Amino acid sequence: MAFISPTILALRRDPRLLKLPPYLSALCIFIGVVWLCLLPLNEYSRHTYISENALLPGQVHTYFGGSEQNVFNAYKYEIQALVGKDQKAIYEKLSDIFESANLRPARQKYEYHAAGTTYSGENVYAILHAPRGDATEAIVLVAAWTNMDGDLNQSGVALALALARYFKRWSLWSKDIIILITGDSRAGPQAWVDAYHDEHTSFFVAPLPLKSGALQGVVVIDNALDHRFESLHIVYDGINGQLPNLDLFNTAVSIASGQLGIGVSLQRMWKHNDSYQERLQTMLRGMVSQGLGYSSGPHSSFIPYHVDAITLQAVGDGWQDEMAMGRCVESIFRSLNNLLEHFHQSFFFYLLMQADRFVSIGTYLPSAMLVAVNFTIMAIALWIRSGRPPAPKVASTMPEKEKTEMEIVQKDGMTAITPKENLTILERQLFLPVALVVSLHFLGVIPLYVFINSSRNTLPSCFLLFTFLNLILPTVLATSIRRHTPLTPQHHLLLQSISLLVLGMFLATLATLNFSLSLFIGLLSTPLTFTGNPFSSSVDAKDVFPSNARKYISTLVLQLLSPPVVVWAVCYIWGADLGETLAEAAFGWKVNGLWTQVVVWCVWWPAWMIGGVLVN
Amino acid sequence: MKLPPLSLLPLTLLPLLLPPSLAAHTSNWAVLVSTSRFWFNYRHLANVLSLYRTVKRLGIPDSQILLMLPDDMACNPRNAFPGTVYNNADRALDLYGDNIEVDYRGYEVTVENFIRLLTDRLGEDVPRGKRLGSDGGSNVLVYMTGHGGNEFLKFQDSEEIGSWDLADAFEQMWEKKRYNEMLFMIDTCQANTLYKHFYSPNIIATGSSEIDQSSYSHHADNDVGVAVIDRWTYYNLDFLETQVTSPTSKLTLADLFGSYDESKIHSNPGYRWDLFPGGEEKGRERLVMDFFGNVQGVEVEGVGGNETEWREDMRRLEEIINRARARGKTTEAKKSEAPGEEVIAHGRDLGKGKVEGVAKIEGVEAWSQRILGAGALLGCALFWGGASWLESR
Repeated sequence: MAFISPTILALRRDPRLLKLPPYLSALCIFIGVVWLCLLPLNEYSRHTYISENALLPGQVHTYFGGSEQNVFNAYKYEIQALVGKDQKAIYEKLSDIFESANLRPARQKYEYHAAGTTYSGENVYAILHAPRGDATEAIVLVAAWTNMDGDLNQSGVALALALARYFKRWSLWSKDIIILITGDSRAGPQAWVDAYHDEHTSFFVAPLPLKSGALQGVVVIDNALDHRFESLHIVYDGINGQLPNLDLFNTAVSIASGQLGIGVSLQRMWKHNDSYQERLQTMLRGMVSQGLGYSSGPHSSFIPYHVDAITLQAVGDGWQDEMAMGRCVESIFRSLNNLLEHFHQSFFFYLLMQADRFVSIGTYLPSAMLVAVNFTIMAIALWIRSGRPPAPKVASTMPEKEKTEMEIVQKDGMTAITPKENLTILERQLFLPVALVVSLHFLGVIPLYVFINSSRNTLPSCFLLFTFLNLILPTVLATSIRRHTPLTPQHHLLLQSISLLVLGMFLATLATLNFSLSLFIGLLSTPLTFTGNPFSSSVDAKDVFPSNARKYISTLVLQLLSPPVVVWAVCYIWGADLGETLAEAAFGWKVNGLWTQVVVWCVWWPAWMIGGVLVN
Repeated sequence: MKLPPLSLLPLTLLPLLLPPSLAAHTSNWAVLVSTSRFWFNYRHLANVLSLYRTVKRLGIPDSQILLMLPDDMACNPRNAFPGTVYNNADRALDLYGDNIEVDYRGYEVTVENFIRLLTDRLGEDVPRGKRLGSDGGSNVLVYMTGHGGNEFLKFQDSEEIGSWDLADAFEQMWEKKRYNEMLFMIDTCQANTLYKHFYSPNIIATGSSEIDQSSYSHHADNDVGVAVIDRWTYYNLDFLETQVTSPTSKLTLADLFGSYDESKIHSNPGYRWDLFPGGEEKGRERLVMDFFGNVQGVEVEGVGGNETEWREDMRRLEEIINRARARGKTTEAKKSEAPGEEVIAHGRDLGKGKVEGVAKIEGVEAWSQRILGAGALLGCALFWGGASWLESR
């Protein structure tokens, strides 16, 4: 050790080593992206499998069919007749149907206000008590009155009611079954699940008159079609990118495709030939959905409560009838009924690239971590650099004339002569950089507040204004700072170092919670590592402050990747209405507890702002 | 009320005196154990109940069958046919029936209870129904099923029994003369590793699968929704149900083991003969009914060749008993002074008599030991005294 440490200590000052970090950062980003692209390959992804012994998917005969078809048709007719009627009429009809199946109906009113719009409605539900069970657990069958696209979920609701009547006749349930008809697909389920766990704001959301045990699983039926369907689209993304246990998804896939021969698709990939490209595309779509973290169906609201939920959506025009969908639900419920404890065996963190292929967190996490680490590496490099003393004033062309000041050091009875330069401790002026970074992160609350509380009509103009403001804000900020205190090279380095350190830390933590969001923000922020200062080990002003050419290029890149510009670009590419998107985000925050905007405005935007200040 | 304690002694000791060459057994016992609970392990309970039904059919009475069931499938809310357990998708035969005696149920099925049961290390308050009352003349069938691995069998997700635990338990049984011959059967993954370490005589062991082999279920009932029986057990039962149709069956273990078809069982069953006197050759001649049925045979006097030796033994035994009886009278006289707690089972009393006899012999030994000890102490004291005297000089 005694022999090695001086060598290593000497290596610390090696100029070649000090030049390394930017390249190391670039390498990290490169490997991170390549890593992600490798995941769809057979060598890196895995075939899905059922982990929980108790599930036994597809091992039961399903009997939903025959005369149930007539019951279903009758219910569907009743529901179609309710179009345009008010809530009272709908409730009366639904409760009639529940009562005719010997189930006691209950209702819950809810009302939310977000982006100047009122979302109100009524949930109707009934509890089927397990004939021989102990009422400590329950599974939920949900059908929203209107689906995510706003269409009347006519077959879905009729199917849920027909299944309720059918389930009532079985004596083998070990858990209560709750049949829930929500008023809509976003607010209704949220209101119900909040109230079920007593987490609702009682002013807008009514408490539930009937309750059962702990929720063990949720299956949502979404079938707005008036004809036979081709395949089942399984939607599984929850709020904030949380996912249901993979076992639930696998059970549904195994039952639909294995037992009943219904095709299964995910992430709106209607055609999937299992090629590399399609796998990658499916995975990326899943990641986008996870990264945005919005509600993708009625099931999404359940997942933050650690209740595993999926939506089965009937899509396409084929030869599968509603009875087949009913049998699929019946079989899934028989599997859920077999559960002995909460879903826990399989993965909660995974990326799916095909109905039967996935990668788990251990395999994909390094990708986002490497991207996050690139900021940390640069931050540490800049920190070290900021602590180095400035180079001697005199040019070093005549080293023989230059007398290096030496000092005698005594330690442990040994004496050594070292250059004084190596021993001087340079004070880092931390106040200004730390204060700036912290205040900018807190300043992120302003756009967050504005975009959450503006009404639907003013949102687009607010955002436009903010985009223009954002364009000049870094310059304004940089000028006003310089007016008060001239930024020393050390300030400059420390500012970037601390900002990158905070960003790297945030993203690494976020990667374990919402991998996709962390990766996307990490990739969009990569320029921050390389703009700001030339790659050098020196702390001279000319080596620290970027040159003019560098300034212009950096400013251009940063402006192109600023948070508002990215939001505009994304809306443009997907053909989404900006106002709609922002209203959706505001609704997500107010109703679902969506955190994506907090990450954007309080992590990404401040980091970007400091990057902008540094190149001005 | 006091039972005459020692008059029964000759009868009780009689089986112990029978020469071991007399292979015929005098009773049959069966210990049938399922070690897994939970609905999805339905088949393990069905396995055991099938065996239970078979041995009962072939004549072993409920009182001589120890049935351990860790879970109640018949009353599980998930059971589509409440109150029944089936081992076949045709559901022709309800194993639960209306006459089933479960001796150990639910969380009573533990490794400790199982070993205590085998070795009879049970408190006096444990009822007869929970005891294995076998003796040196009993043939014992031990059947186990559950989830196992290399040299272990899991009990209820919380503990496991190792192959050495089993081997030692059987050795204790042998030492305590708790069996004459034993057939050990086990249906679990890597089952053949479980009997690897047995070292007690007169055991024939068989298992469903080799090391690193899984033991598979035979088929599932799609209405019950679970697998209903394991393959190896299924084919054992198949043989027992179709071939061994009456208690007079003369089929041998060779026939039973010969019926195993590895292509059907999907694993390689194993056998262990080396502990059995005469090895495989003699073992294979054993009747299936020796283990699965119940003997109703009566010991006939004078069957054995060396009658004079036997009579001589009896004469000596009688002398011992007379002496003991004389001593018993004196203790009884003492006891009668305090007749408050006289309700003592005769077995226990018998033990007491034995202990007294032994204690007397030990008493003599103790006196010589005491003299020896005193002598040693005296020697030490002398040595110490002499040494200090030498030192002080």
